[in-house]
Amino acid sequence: MAAFLRFEIVRSLRNVRFVVFIAGFPVLLYLIYAKQTGTSQGLTVAAILMVSMAVWSGMGSAMFATGPQLAKERQNGWMRQLRVSPISAPRWFTAKLVQGLLLIIPGFVLLILLGFGYGHVHLAAGRVAMLAAVIVLGVIPFCALGLVIGLIFDGQTAQVAQMLTLLVLAFLGGIFIPYSKLPHVMQEIANVLPSYHLVQLGWNAVAGRALGVQHMLALAAWTVALGLVAVWRWRQESTTA
Amino acid sequence: MITNNRGATGPAVAFRDVVKVYHPDISARSGPATPPKALDHVTFDIQPGETVALLGPNGAGKSTAIDTMLGLRTPTSGEVRILGGSAAAAVAAGQIGGMLQTGGLPEGARVSELTGLFRQLYRDRRSTAELLTLAGIADLADRRVEQLSGGQTQRVRFALALAGNPELLFLDEPTAALDVEARRHFWRSVETIAGQGATVLFATHYLEEADANATRIIVVNHGRVIADGTPAQIKAFTATRTLRFSTHVPDPSELLKLPGVTDVVVNGDAVTVRTSDADGTLPALYALGRQIKAMEVGGGGLEEALIALTSADNGPVMERAS
Repeated sequence: MAAFLRFEIVRSLRNVRFVVFIAGFPVLLYLIYAKQTGTSQGLTVAAILMVSMAVWSGMGSAMFATGPQLAKERQNGWMRQLRVSPISAPRWFTAKLVQGLLLIIPGFVLLILLGFGYGHVHLAAGRVAMLAAVIVLGVIPFCALGLVIGLIFDGQTAQVAQMLTLLVLAFLGGIFIPYSKLPHVMQEIANVLPSYHLVQLGWNAVAGRALGVQHMLALAAWTVALGLVAVWRWRQESTTA
Repeated sequence: MITNNRGATGPAVAFRDVVKVYHPDISARSGPATPPKALDHVTFDIQPGETVALLGPNGAGKSTAIDTMLGLRTPTSGEVRILGGSAAAAVAAGQIGGMLQTGGLPEGARVSELTGLFRQLYRDRRSTAELLTLAGIADLADRRVEQLSGGQTQRVRFALALAGNPELLFLDEPTAALDVEARRHFWRSVETIAGQGATVLFATHYLEEADANATRIIVVNHGRVIADGTPAQIKAFTATRTLRFSTHVPDPSELLKLPGVTDVVVNGDAVTVRTSDADGTLPALYALGRQIKAMEVGGGGLEEALIALTSADNGPVMERAS
């Protein structure tokens, strides 16, 4: 499994679109917006944005490990080739999950460095560690979401579905627009989205507040629900053949 | 604990009365018409060490048979045993290698990374140098997958099938994208692997390819095994030629006595004769002293051979020489 994981990470890091997406894009947004002054609930704009961008980068990384790549490789026959090799489905899945989690690191480290150096965010090491833990565990439902997209859509369609899903999650979840500025209807929608709960956890971690059990429960529920859909689709595909 | 079956007795592949129907539920709903069977009661054994060609036209059921042996498809009924166990167990144990008919490679990877990955996925590894040489991809090791041509991709996929030094190797139309030189290298490598003791099963729709590279040919059409024998037996069976000519008031009983003739159809002056030995029939025909006009000799291609084989579908199927 380690060999497969290394193989997948190396080729992901060669993918320019992926690197731009998980590192380039959030860094650029951060450079543009972090200099705004102001505070909200005890956090500076620079700190709020650091968390938002780290969440965005983490969501993208988690969904990229599966998502359109999986859709494409189901279509071009690579998944069939893997199915006649000794790597088992649970190992493949575990490797993909670990890939998604490990590839969070570059974007996260860059954003923390920028937050400290460029945004003058001052955080105790403990809070940075807490934020890291929140993001690593919190993106697990997004790994499952990528898997669902990759198993339901084909090639090009999966690419579009993935982008739309990510943008909707980011806008409605309060990552690009502050939750308080969303119209009431959208706030109602945001309340159920995993992106909303993850970014809330992130801000709470940075502010040193209680993380909020309801956010964790919501993410756990999403993980279970999406995981079940993914397993169902996976079984369906390998048994109807 | 997974045991290695190498050296075990019993067939490498046992295919017993295997039926595969795609989407039986849809067919059942749409009416009384029987759903087409991709595999229609197929039975054969492949012994360890054999190199077997699965020969048939497109849509004959070759890929379905191979996918079933690889565990990618489950048969509707019948039994499939691979190296004494299930296909899934053989795959998990790394005992079989498969080169599928279509198969893309994952973007962003280098050829050497792919071969390295597969050598590690299989426990019984082949050395990188041997692998690259056998597949003929030593010069491609540093290439990225996106830079490969169709033929190069096919060679890399061959390498992946060989990486684990499998005791049972499945190749589904493995030379489709290869040029003449690459084809020659490919078959030489298959011979080497077979010489090392591996059992090889390949699908092809070229009789020549099956004849030149297999020790046994199983001919399939419409999901059925229609012939199973040595290349010589299959070729003899497919050596039927059709002679078409015209002669004044032909006499069928006279023509039927000619050497090799199996069948005579007369329509006015036009005659169609089927013969298993055209070289013997033709001189004897001219020796009759009749005036023979517009002689045409047809047949020999796989197309005609398969027509010959398929029309004998209900007749006795050739027994395999043991």
